[in-house]
Amino acid sequence: MNAIIRIAMKDLRLLARDRADAFFTFVFPLLIALFFGYVFGGGDGERSAMPVAVVNEDGGAASKWFVEQLSKAGGIEAKPAETREAGERLVRKGDAAACVIVPKDFEDSTKKVFSGGGMQLEAIIDPKRSAEAGLLEGRLNELGFRQLARTFTDSSMMNSFLDSAREDVSKSTGLSPLQKGIFGTFFDSVSSLTREVTSKSAPGETMNGAVGESGGGFRPVTVTMHELRMDPNSPNNSFAVSFPQGVVWGLMGCVMAFGVSLVQERRRGTLLRLCVAPITRNQILLGKAAACFASCVIVQVILLVVARLMGVRIGHPSIMASAVLVSSVGFTGVMMLLAGLSRSEGAAQGFGRALLLVLALIGGGSIPLFFMPRLMQQISSVSPFKWATISIENGLWRADGWDAMLLPGGVLLGIGVIGFLVGWAAMRRWSPT
Amino acid sequence: MIRLEGLTKRFGEREAVCSLSLEIARGEVFGLLGPNGAGKTTTISMMIGTLPPTSGDVHIDGKSLVDDPSLRRRVGVAPQALALYEDLTARENLAFFGGLYGLGGRELNAAVDGALEMVGLRDRAGDRSETFSGGMQRRLNLAAALVHGPDVLLLDEPTAGVDPQSRNSIIELVRSLKARGTTIVYTTHYMEEAQKLCDRVGVMDRGSMLALGTIHELLKDHGGDSVVVYHDEHGEQKIVTRDPAAEVARLIERGVRSGLRIDRPDLESVFLNLTGRALRDGGAE
Ligand SMILES: Nc1ncnc2c1ncn2[C@@H]1O[C@H](COP(=O)(O)OP(=O)(O)OP(=O)(O)O)[C@@H](O)[C@H]1O
Ligand SMILES: [Mg+2]
Repeated sequence: MNAIIRIAMKDLRLLARDRADAFFTFVFPLLIALFFGYVFGGGDGERSAMPVAVVNEDGGAASKWFVEQLSKAGGIEAKPAETREAGERLVRKGDAAACVIVPKDFEDSTKKVFSGGGMQLEAIIDPKRSAEAGLLEGRLNELGFRQLARTFTDSSMMNSFLDSAREDVSKSTGLSPLQKGIFGTFFDSVSSLTREVTSKSAPGETMNGAVGESGGGFRPVTVTMHELRMDPNSPNNSFAVSFPQGVVWGLMGCVMAFGVSLVQERRRGTLLRLCVAPITRNQILLGKAAACFASCVIVQVILLVVARLMGVRIGHPSIMASAVLVSSVGFTGVMMLLAGLSRSEGAAQGFGRALLLVLALIGGGSIPLFFMPRLMQQISSVSPFKWATISIENGLWRADGWDAMLLPGGVLLGIGVIGFLVGWAAMRRWSPT
Repeated sequence: MIRLEGLTKRFGEREAVCSLSLEIARGEVFGLLGPNGAGKTTTISMMIGTLPPTSGDVHIDGKSLVDDPSLRRRVGVAPQALALYEDLTARENLAFFGGLYGLGGRELNAAVDGALEMVGLRDRAGDRSETFSGGMQRRLNLAAALVHGPDVLLLDEPTAGVDPQSRNSIIELVRSLKARGTTIVYTTHYMEEAQKLCDRVGVMDRGSMLALGTIHELLKDHGGDSVVVYHDEHGEQKIVTRDPAAEVARLIERGVRSGLRIDRPDLESVFLNLTGRALRDGGAE
């Protein structure tokens, strides 16, 4: 056991020392993951106007004004939608970053800004565009202030607002008659103030900016956010697509680094030293396998940690853990196969890399599996990378649970065991010189 | 202690080692000499068990290295082809190899320091071996054979490609190991090394042992004639003789003294007499 660990530690140290190997094993997959993540739109901050689906369920004057303002607001491209479902579809298709719903009782809620919790809005947001959703909420509040200002400066609206407030106060049981009297006087003075203001300015203008920009802590609009209901077969974030791709390249890096290192040991004569040491051939091979397995796990953990930082939700942590383990087992087997069947370093480097490259490309390393045409998806089944990708996706966002791990997990474990045995049998016949 | 019996290795048609029988005593330094392609490395590889013989046996203390891992613990090997991890430092290389022999902790550190000291690489211990000169790598290669304190050492051309200083220090090191009772098999092309170090020498060519014995025996049997050199009025004169002492006595009697010297045969002449003077590039076919 001790010898196996010593050999594994030595190999990991050698991997870390070889800049090129370390780069292709640990850094390159990360760059791939980040690159594709941005290409697929995760980090897209450049878009000039944010497309927002708008559903008006209320239909009253206030709501119409609000929707109109939303369309005019800079940075927002309002896309009217008939129903909530239609709006949601636009978001799911990616045609809109979010869907704003002006609910049925919007008109009423505008009159209860102080007493009833403010204007009620709903929004359906796409979780993978949560940055844009934050922006949208800010805009909605800004518009809410304008709506409020409009209420203040429109005497008829103000009066109906005051009426409803008076009614609330008089009905209230928690207020003493004295307090009710104070509110009554307050409402009267607001009413006369409003009359004075409106006689001097056109409605909806004077106070717009003033109120809107000094909004500070008070939020007139309550936006109830709903995350887009998860389609069970789609990832929550574009990085959730690109990180499994990164894993493909990381696993390939590990296989290459260790597949070649075994052949190198032979060419550089160090295998001879290992063979004359009081350890068995099996310990030597297990040490190599352990190092490869460890680096497969390490590269995947690094990728997942960064994915997490990029906002990817790991939907099923325990499935993810098993996915990382089975893909590490599978690719350790691939490494043993490559090492065992390569007679020379050149064969491992050239033939091995070419074959792995093709398998990685069709196994989801460039085009995500679920984007592939059906025929391609079938062909890709020959690639162990496909099964690793599916396993990782199962842990990230696929909602098919443990059942869906049986096939890819079984394939990967099978590849691991067969690869190990075949490679092991081939390498036992190696002479160290 | 080391016993070779009818050891034979064939690569296809070519017989690299044929029917070699030999016994090396405990504490002996045995020199294996021979031109390029003679079969020295092939013999060593069979001794350490990394190359299976076509026929014949090798035993160390009555056991085979292949079957007995505990025996491997007592044997150190310095292969002719440098066998080091270039990306590891000298210390890391030695610590790794020492660790494979079951050393650990303080014991391993002491062993590594000791080995570095012996080959004079202490102050470069923290440098990667790829930054070493050829001679330094050769010395580190030797240190890797020593680090676990073996009592049998198989050194395949430990002085190949090193300068005279390094060669001397390696020779001194082997001498000190010999003084501690280490049994050593030493292959080389350098006759003076064999002459300085070895208790017995075997001269190989084309897979066969052409001569085997102490230096004295080899000189006597295969060194050929001595040359007595002197000057007279005609210039330098040479007399080839089996008995140089008698020849010198005769010359002195005749009053010849000027430039008188005896050129005795050395191992080099033994070697050349046995293996011929033709070049051996590309093997002995
Ligand atoms: N793996 C091999 N396959 C085929 N032939 C081999 C192999 N190893 C050695 N030989 C042949 O065996 C013969 C002996 O080689 P060996 O390496 O033992 O010579 P050597 O005495 O160590 O020579 P040198 O002084 O050059 O190191 C050579 O003719 C060589 O070509
Ligand atoms: Mg040799």
